[in-house]
Amino acid sequence: MRVVPALIGSLPRPLGLAKKIELYSIGRLNEDKLEEAYREHTKKAFQKLRDAGIKVITDGMYRWDDIFNPLIRYIDGVEVNGLFKFYENNFFYRSPVVKGEVNLLDNPIPKWVSIAKEILEEVYPEATLKAVLPGPVTLAYHSLNEYYENLEALAKDYAEKVLTPLIKELEVDIVELQEPALASELSRATREEEVHISKETAKTVIEELGKLRKLWVVTYFGTPQVIPKGVILNVDLVEGSLPDGIGGEVGLGVVNARETKMERSDRIRDKLLKLSGNFSRIYVTPNTLLDFLPESVAWRKLKLLGRLGGE
Amino acid sequence: MELPILPTSVIGSYPKPRWLLRQYKLYELGKIPEEDFKEAVRDASVAVLREHERAGIDIPWDGEMGRSEMTEYFTAKIHGFRFYGPIRVWGNFYFNKASAVSKLEYKEPLVLDELKFVQSVTTREIVKIPITGPYTLAEWSFNEYYDTKEDFAMDLAKILNKEFKLLEKEGAKFIQIDEPAILNHPNEVEWAVEVINRAVKGLKLKVGMHVCYSNYYLLADYFDDLNVTQFALEFANRNFRDMDFLKKLTSQELGFGVIDVHNPRIETPEEVARAIRKVFNYIEPERLYINPDCGLKLLSRNIAYQKLVNMVKGVEIVRKELEKKGKTSVPFRTLKDF
Repeated sequence: MRVVPALIGSLPRPLGLAKKIELYSIGRLNEDKLEEAYREHTKKAFQKLRDAGIKVITDGMYRWDDIFNPLIRYIDGVEVNGLFKFYENNFFYRSPVVKGEVNLLDNPIPKWVSIAKEILEEVYPEATLKAVLPGPVTLAYHSLNEYYENLEALAKDYAEKVLTPLIKELEVDIVELQEPALASELSRATREEEVHISKETAKTVIEELGKLRKLWVVTYFGTPQVIPKGVILNVDLVEGSLPDGIGGEVGLGVVNARETKMERSDRIRDKLLKLSGNFSRIYVTPNTLLDFLPESVAWRKLKLLGRLGGE
Repeated sequence: MELPILPTSVIGSYPKPRWLLRQYKLYELGKIPEEDFKEAVRDASVAVLREHERAGIDIPWDGEMGRSEMTEYFTAKIHGFRFYGPIRVWGNFYFNKASAVSKLEYKEPLVLDELKFVQSVTTREIVKIPITGPYTLAEWSFNEYYDTKEDFAMDLAKILNKEFKLLEKEGAKFIQIDEPAILNHPNEVEWAVEVINRAVKGLKLKVGMHVCYSNYYLLADYFDDLNVTQFALEFANRNFRDMDFLKKLTSQELGFGVIDVHNPRIETPEEVARAIRKVFNYIEPERLYINPDCGLKLLSRNIAYQKLVNMVKGVEIVRKELEKKGKTSVPFRTLKDF
């Protein structure tokens, strides 16, 4: 069994970059300078990921405010609404309000991925870069649906009319779909409504997207209730457990990205040893987005993951 | 003590003047002495308090000029926390999330200085002191020490109870416990209610509780169990939709949020008045206070001010309508009245 350290989703956005974005938003920094800042910070992140020994990476999502924004600004039929808690975290996202049929508009995301690839070639060519997008199920659950008959129809259209054309344009071998909704139902903490997407529909829409590109489906805040075939499923082992029916390659969230307390690497190794017979390859990852940790602690946890790599 | 009907108040924070933000920066860098920084904070407090008063707010506060953030300010003063660095809340807004690394202890008053200063300069009889509640402080901190979050939050409740009693002794009439996180984990709300009640144990003053951006239907199940006088909730952000949960608020007051704090558009007085008339379908005017949804600190200062001005103008429209029905004032109710 091979253990490969990997990053899922975002890195904490560095304060220096946040300040530049703010300056840009009030007209005190031009677009070129902002772009320069994104590239500099992405380069630094790739260097640090290389030094930490993380082999499969993302661009840290520095250009994203949350897992939905800015994608939802480039969807026809969607308006961007007020803030909602992202599950039970003190972290907020702007939710999509679906007012009409959803369709992808011109957007800069493929270009951002290409820029990240160029930087990667320069500083860490041996790493594998994933492009990160919200999954159709999670996107539908977090939308305020004022148009579609039900969430299933919305999830299908998000997959077919938004994510399919977008994935086709991405110059990467692996696309990571953020799909916490497969493991953690929207908590009553934020919404009273109980609307559901059936497991069958969730599985089907993701498997269809898997025909376009290899998918890495990231779940967290619970045990996945939907197991799409033909994808690398990332399971949160801190707040959930491994469901039956997974083999081959798997991503395991083994360090807690919502607590500063450092894990003991010997205990994680013991856990991995017990699972070693079930998988050909295990990607060890944080259990969720590293946005929830201070930067210094996030990097300490990534270094810990890096030390777990090997046969 | 009587107040005009539909008393107006704020939730807490207000945009810090730019010159004060520069003083924060200079102080952080060690370039100005503590005394100069404190003087700047006091001057800003007076300026903001006057702005609230000029806008016509009946129960003002100083906009939390001396507080860097709603949890960090408290966790920095409670012994047993440490900081590893800021984390993002949304967009480009960050806060310093503390980690509990040893047993928490009350070593010094948390907001007594603020209260005394505001009391000394306000023209109003009552001010509202916002204080972050024990559950939210625990929920929005990391825990490296306590076996359970309940133990963690209960220790914070005991610490806050000491502070509240001190404030009451020093003349505080109205405190607001800010608990934006209390509904984060539906399966924890039951013990979270006990934690809040522990924090207010033995108090007689008015206690408000502010909860925002949450599922209020879940909160409504606990209205009667919480020993507070008033719930200050957010409604403008959700376009005053889906308010049926208010049917369960049968005795305590409602602090009705009519100003969206995440949108720079200034609500008109007519919009405010319309929202107030709508809530009358659920709560009688005698149990209503009017406030913004949440703290105003994310807005620019002139917009925040104008929003408060229009909020009060909107209230005045409705007050005139109520006057025709002989409703002009309400008693100031405290925990003793419940």
